[in-house]
Amino acid sequence: MSSSTSSSEPTGSGRGAFARVLFTVLIGMGLALGGVRLFALVVGVGSESLLGRVMQAQRALPQIAEEPNDLVMVFGSSMVRAGFSPREFDAALAEQGIDVTSFNFGFGGLNPLFQDYLSRRVVDELKARDRRLKLVVIEFNPFQTTVTRRNGATALEESYIAMLASDRELWQKTVDDPTSGIRMGLIRYLRDGISAEMITTFMWAEPFQPPDNRQRPQMSDEDRERLGEIGEYLNEVFDEDYPDYDGSDWYYPWRGGGTIKTERSEKTLEIFDEYYDLIAQDNRMEADRQSRIRTADIEELNFDDELVEAFIRIVENFKEVSDHVEVVMLPKNTDWIQNPPEAIERQAAAVARISEATGLPVRDYQVVEDVSNDMFSDTTHLNRYEGAVAFTEFLVSEYAEILR
Amino acid sequence: MLFNTPIFFLFFVAFLFFYGLVFVRKLPRVAFLLTASLVFYGAWNWRFIPLLVGSSIVDYYLAIAIGNAQTQQRKRLFLTLSVCVNLGILGLFKYADFVLQSVSDFLSVFGVEAGLPTLSWVLPVGISFYTFQSLSYTIDVYRGDMQPKRGLIYFTTALAFFPQLVAGPILRARQILPQFHALPVPNWVDARHGFLLITSGLVKKTAADLLAIPAGVLFEAGGPVSLLEAWTGVLAFAGQIYGDFAGYTDMAIGLALVIGFKIPPNFRLPYFAVSPVDFWRRWHISLSTWLRDYLYISLGGRNQRYRNVTITMLLGGLWHGAAWTFVAWGAFHAVIIMGTHFLSGLSAFAGFVNSQSKLKRILTWAITFYLVLIGWVLFRAHDIGSAFDIVVNMHTFGGLPEAGPVAMRIFIATALTVVLLHLLDWFVIAKGESFEKTWWLFWPVLVLIQGLCLMIGEPSNEFIYFQF
Repeated sequence: MSSSTSSSEPTGSGRGAFARVLFTVLIGMGLALGGVRLFALVVGVGSESLLGRVMQAQRALPQIAEEPNDLVMVFGSSMVRAGFSPREFDAALAEQGIDVTSFNFGFGGLNPLFQDYLSRRVVDELKARDRRLKLVVIEFNPFQTTVTRRNGATALEESYIAMLASDRELWQKTVDDPTSGIRMGLIRYLRDGISAEMITTFMWAEPFQPPDNRQRPQMSDEDRERLGEIGEYLNEVFDEDYPDYDGSDWYYPWRGGGTIKTERSEKTLEIFDEYYDLIAQDNRMEADRQSRIRTADIEELNFDDELVEAFIRIVENFKEVSDHVEVVMLPKNTDWIQNPPEAIERQAAAVARISEATGLPVRDYQVVEDVSNDMFSDTTHLNRYEGAVAFTEFLVSEYAEILR
Repeated sequence: MLFNTPIFFLFFVAFLFFYGLVFVRKLPRVAFLLTASLVFYGAWNWRFIPLLVGSSIVDYYLAIAIGNAQTQQRKRLFLTLSVCVNLGILGLFKYADFVLQSVSDFLSVFGVEAGLPTLSWVLPVGISFYTFQSLSYTIDVYRGDMQPKRGLIYFTTALAFFPQLVAGPILRARQILPQFHALPVPNWVDARHGFLLITSGLVKKTAADLLAIPAGVLFEAGGPVSLLEAWTGVLAFAGQIYGDFAGYTDMAIGLALVIGFKIPPNFRLPYFAVSPVDFWRRWHISLSTWLRDYLYISLGGRNQRYRNVTITMLLGGLWHGAAWTFVAWGAFHAVIIMGTHFLSGLSAFAGFVNSQSKLKRILTWAITFYLVLIGWVLFRAHDIGSAFDIVVNMHTFGGLPEAGPVAMRIFIATALTVVLLHLLDWFVIAKGESFEKTWWLFWPVLVLIQGLCLMIGEPSNEFIYFQF
């Protein structure tokens, strides 16, 4: 053990020993962190595989800003993703002589906390290119704003924010809360978006489900076999119908939406009908309902204050770059999701809070005449060739005048 | 600021640089160590820094007063003052609401709605550890086991010493205070062992976080689970609490070693214990010896063994938290310890107990481990009713939900993890020294394990014992 001494310091200060310890700590931790980076690279699971659709949509923003027509954006959850068809929206408006280019910015798995950051990125990009949206329709999704929903996303929180925040925002986070900020910095720059929590929650914890969570809907062997055949057929037909499709989750030529009815053959549409009948069997719908109750409190709707606040920020963000902002609630499958009066009261209170804070009404499209319960593929999402079409047409009828 | 977080790494690097390389004289170095410790503590809640410093000032001067007192009566007066201040602080912050709530609940049984107010104060992290540590100093001085040492800054620094401030081990002043007066520099052999302990602690903490998930299946299920999953859950919690606490302790001892301080071990392969008494010689040694030396012996020790064991274990349980589950846990351990003493005294059992056969050891180990597991149910459950349900669940055959598809594999993995945690301890104790000398293997293995733990360890998970 060495201990350096000099005339200016007392004997036994141990500078040499401390220097050796410090050197060891720095080299050791540097190598360990290098190992983490290497692991992230080798495994190849990163921000793109987690938030691929979001990242792809973000990358498309410069191109969106260059579109010659007026811009329309429908922003929200997976319900928007499933329920809004941009190309059909544009085509219907074009028939009325209104030229717009619309985009589906619906993303599954993001709660308003994360959507807030995404909306800031949209706003940043549009502002940087001096472009505005003619109309933005923002979905207020009640069950995405619950305490239960938030608790289920805690493992994702730092990771998603690390991926969606700007450098400046990340720095501000670090100043406000160094522990969390530094962790997010590592997630972003070293771990390629994958936090340790995500690894343990999604890779390790999967088999550890309590009995209630393990219930899987039963399906007859015959139906299961048929579903397999349909899947194979639809995949084959898809490859034939869309040879240019590049596999993106957010595909620019479709402007973030999906395939449309006019591009599919009669037979394919019939097969799709059969597919939806098979997957919408009562026991599967009940299982889906139970899952939504467990993971999102979809019936009781106990709102998380911070998520409601985050939603208000989203609206305020979009106001900066939009000529017209609409806040809406998307159709609800009332055959399966019924809210007790207390939940309706809580929802009304949340809506009132949003309206008061933003100065905008929250339009309740949960029950609209044109969209029926048999147009859902599960308890929450509209199906593609009926539900999405009907709701898109409904939006056309609602907003054509604004866009004219 | 948890040891396994990136921010602690930055803190520790900065600390090492200034402590070891910039402040080379003794007093500035101690002053810096105190400042760094308070920064570390303040990272949780800076408002409690005055409480920590105040505690140390009170006990420092009371210890001197006890040392200088000419009569036993005056010594006792000053000691009483120290006990009142320390336990008063602990009682106010940790137990006031529990007592008020319990009184309200009790009165409501008789239809009296007392409506007692609650304080709802935030519990200062580490308060149970540092008050006991501080108290041991005045008691030791009172008993004449040590002389009061001059130098408030040394005492305050010893009490606030960041590696062991928030979750122990609970050090005795005579163990740690002389080290702060001498202010050691790291010895490379010790420092190298410190790095091994830090890594071992990180492994244990990571394993604990992984075991928290199967434990949660049982304790958070809100209803019965399969028999296999019930046992898996309890076993997982046993591994979790051990990995979490022993992991923290390993890191604390390791961090102290790399800067030259020596802290005694707090665990010694506890799940290899062959009796409840043996378990408490191996589990949280610094607390069990504290309770033995300052409570059990003060009460009269073996003179009224059953009464004193009961009081000691009940208070030991309550030390862990202000909840009836902890009291029940303490009571349960009191019962099994007394049971052990009782059986040992019976001639019919003497032959068996004194036998050195392997079969006897395996049997006593199995019984002890089973009892410890039952104890952990009381410790972890939300309330005594839930604990009872879980214990019933563990002993019910038939009528339970079906086990998950990979339940047996999870059980085996959980059991292996608990065993591996102990094998890791055994390896560090028995083979650590020779491993450390094999530098070409030692350093790469350490880096690899650290990297792996950083990859999968959940840095946002607090250590369980911080709440105590």
